[in-house]
Amino acid sequence: MTTESVPTGDPRRLLSDVRTLAHRVRLDQRLTWVALLVLAAVTFAGIPVDWFGMRVHCRPDGSCEFARRGVLYYWPAALLIAYATIAFFYVRAARARGLGARVLPYAITGAVTTVVFTAAWVAAALYFPRHPLPDQPLPYWGVVLDRLLAPWAMIGVALLVLARLERNVALLLFAAGYLALVLLVPPMNVAWGPPGWNLRAGFALPQIVNGVVLLLGAAGFALARRRHR
Amino acid sequence: MTAVTDTPDPDAQPANGKPAPDAHPVDDTPGPDAHPVDDAPDPDAHPVNGLDDVVHQRVRLGILTIAHEARQVEFGYLRTQLELTAGNLSKHLGVLEAAGLVEVEKGYAGRRPRTWITLTAPGRTALAQEIERLKLLITRVETTPAEK
Repeated sequence: MTTESVPTGDPRRLLSDVRTLAHRVRLDQRLTWVALLVLAAVTFAGIPVDWFGMRVHCRPDGSCEFARRGVLYYWPAALLIAYATIAFFYVRAARARGLGARVLPYAITGAVTTVVFTAAWVAAALYFPRHPLPDQPLPYWGVVLDRLLAPWAMIGVALLVLARLERNVALLLFAAGYLALVLLVPPMNVAWGPPGWNLRAGFALPQIVNGVVLLLGAAGFALARRRHR
Repeated sequence: MTAVTDTPDPDAQPANGKPAPDAHPVDDTPGPDAHPVDDAPDPDAHPVNGLDDVVHQRVRLGILTIAHEARQVEFGYLRTQLELTAGNLSKHLGVLEAAGLVEVEKGYAGRRPRTWITLTAPGRTALAQEIERLKLLITRVETTPAEK
């Protein structure tokens, strides 16, 4: 042991320096607003695809059957492209600052959640045309599970992982709030909107809300970053 | 992997020209195999005994911390964050590289030369052990009753 390092190195100060430096690096690596902006753009772009890709068959008694083919065809590719884009921008921005980026686990989570959502929707698309629809509405947990397996909730799950990677408390709170909005806030019937709205509009409304929330989140994180700098 | 070739600054001063409050002369550089990566700290031994000179030094601990968080860090980023001259930083990196705790890689970004520093597996272990020992040391100091 040399005499120069230990006696002058107050352990509290050294640990404090370590934490400060680690926090500064994490702040410099973050590009949260870009992730939210890309996901908001993908959400908004998906609305017309869902609208025009939805097959709706209404009977004279007023009941309707629908199949959201647009969601099935659009979202898997859109999510994969979105996560690849986010990873690209994270790595590029970090390297420009002289840092590496820890974004691979986020991209992998995004890919896995996309595969899970796609598998669930393909299974539903194969199952329901050949089996009678249940007479009773889905129980509460069933509705929540159904929403969790939709692309909008998968975005929230991936955001939770990103918050963990970045140790970003603000993003963690945002992702939790967003997930609560997607899973719990909408009424537990088929779609949003006042009575008489058509089915397509009822499905478009929550997507608009999700997109707006992501966009506002992107603006908020961008503003916070600007202030920080 | 290449060695850092920036000219060492014998005065080892921070970039602002003022001596850092606790700027230390750099230790003698150990050989490539001279840095033993210890096992987990013995809880009965006094934590000071386990402190590693190579890692415990403030600047080098900072380099290891940043490299750990960033996965890979550029020389200029380290210099800015640690407020060091190029020469001083090079000397500290030389010590860490010789101990096998970091890898130094030179390359180009366009026409601009860039030096990237990556933490090695022994570097990760050494950093974790240093932090553990610092925590132990603080705990030991706080729980030891003062002598009358």
